[in-house]
Amino acid sequence: MIELYHISKQYEEGQWALVDINLNVLKGDFWFITGPSGSGKSTLLKIIFREILPTRGQIVIDGVNILRLPDHRIYKLRRTMGIVFQDFRLAFHKKVFENVAIGLHVLGIPLKEVRLRVFNALRLVNLHQKMWEYPSHLSYGEQQRVAIARAVVNEPQILLADEPTGNLDPELAAEIMGVFKEINKRGTTVIICSHDKELIRHFGDKILFLFKGKIIGKEVLPSSRR
Amino acid sequence: MYFLRDAQNNLWQYRGRNALSVTIICLSFLILGVFISLSNNLRHVADEMSDSMVVVFFLAPNVTAADLSTIEQKIRASPSVVRVEYVDRQQALERFRKNFPDLREILANLGTNPFPPSFEATLQPGSFRSDDILGFIEEVKNVTGVEDVQFNRDWVLKLQSLSRLARAVGFFLGGILILASFFIISNVIRLNVFARKSEIEILRLVGATNTFIRLPFLLEGVTLGILGSLLSLGLLFVLIKFFPLYLGHSLGALQDIVGFRYLSSSQAVSLIAAGAFMGALGSMSSLSRFLKI
Repeated sequence: MIELYHISKQYEEGQWALVDINLNVLKGDFWFITGPSGSGKSTLLKIIFREILPTRGQIVIDGVNILRLPDHRIYKLRRTMGIVFQDFRLAFHKKVFENVAIGLHVLGIPLKEVRLRVFNALRLVNLHQKMWEYPSHLSYGEQQRVAIARAVVNEPQILLADEPTGNLDPELAAEIMGVFKEINKRGTTVIICSHDKELIRHFGDKILFLFKGKIIGKEVLPSSRR
Repeated sequence: MYFLRDAQNNLWQYRGRNALSVTIICLSFLILGVFISLSNNLRHVADEMSDSMVVVFFLAPNVTAADLSTIEQKIRASPSVVRVEYVDRQQALERFRKNFPDLREILANLGTNPFPPSFEATLQPGSFRSDDILGFIEEVKNVTGVEDVQFNRDWVLKLQSLSRLARAVGFFLGGILILASFFIISNVIRLNVFARKSEIEILRLVGATNTFIRLPFLLEGVTLGILGSLLSLGLLFVLIKFFPLYLGHSLGALQDIVGFRYLSSSQAVSLIAAGAFMGALGSMSSLSRFLKI
């Protein structure tokens, strides 16, 4: 599904964010990428959805080398993905409904179906009652859930989440992880960056440990646990 | 349609700056419209004059019947003349009384009829431009009994060049202002792009194509251009309707010139199309510079 070969990334300042990363993510996998701040977790996600390009290495997603995709074809790759950002990236002048619906509008889905799907996605994160509010009227945790609803609303093949539970209390964090697990059960490949050890201990199936841009360990739990 | 809804929402959301740009586009097109209208008017007057171009040969008051016959034959001999009419002194007097009723008293005070008899030769439309006509007039002028000649050729030619000048001035001034409004549209769209930067970024990340991101901005620019040009046509209509009323009769014969004619339908449509085109161009320039996708 996602194959990373010798991925390295050096920023303009000369600092290496990632060094020789090799990873093979299978369809339906549920991966945690963990490590301290500055270990390269977010950089790795950005490379996977081609927001930035690696300095070295290749990435193949579903048999396509995404580094060879011309800029005007990147939209096709992004349509297969749902992304949850650490900083949410919400449009604050649009209501919750519009924020979640945006990805469906892009796909040209009729408004009637958009309404239904948005409602279901918001119900999944328990925010359906705040559908017509502006994000600025919501708490941090609620804003994060809007971002999650937006990422899952079009039932993507791949879900990438950068610290998706960073602003949530432990109970809500567990609830959101339950949502990710549910989506994963439906066939979506999930990759989550997190440094929440407790959460990883509870929900982690496959774990990649990063430190200063390098892989320092991989852990694959027995399938019975999954 | 998502594009239409989005463009509509954004036009409303940033209505202040959008209204400002519509006003400036409107004023630019209004200036262009006024000059086109003025040019239409001058051309219309010139055309009317040239279509019924008349050479008046004023005769001596004591012209003999033999001279009259010679003069008439000479005039009729020209292939450029389509009609010849003899106006005697009494007819000329009546005509003056009818055309200038306010000046009747002056005539009464004179006590005599000051108008000479004349031959009015109507020329074929367009023939007045030819230099042959000047030779013909000179020839008739030399015949005994002809005292003076009135021929408005220069007037018509001047009106025609004035019409062209009005159009050129209109295009020059309008062109400069339209260029200014192009930059204004471009900057308004640029501000809108900046204001929606986060939304554009989200759109990119959820897999929107460049066209999908650009289309609402393009629609906004086109709408601003069309609204501005429509408003200018409305204002021009009001101006044309009320400006002559405001001036009243003080202009006398000139009223026909300043009593502007409205633009022809093709000119009006062209103006709207120019507005739309300028709006599209303004948006595109802004999008290509500030929306690197």
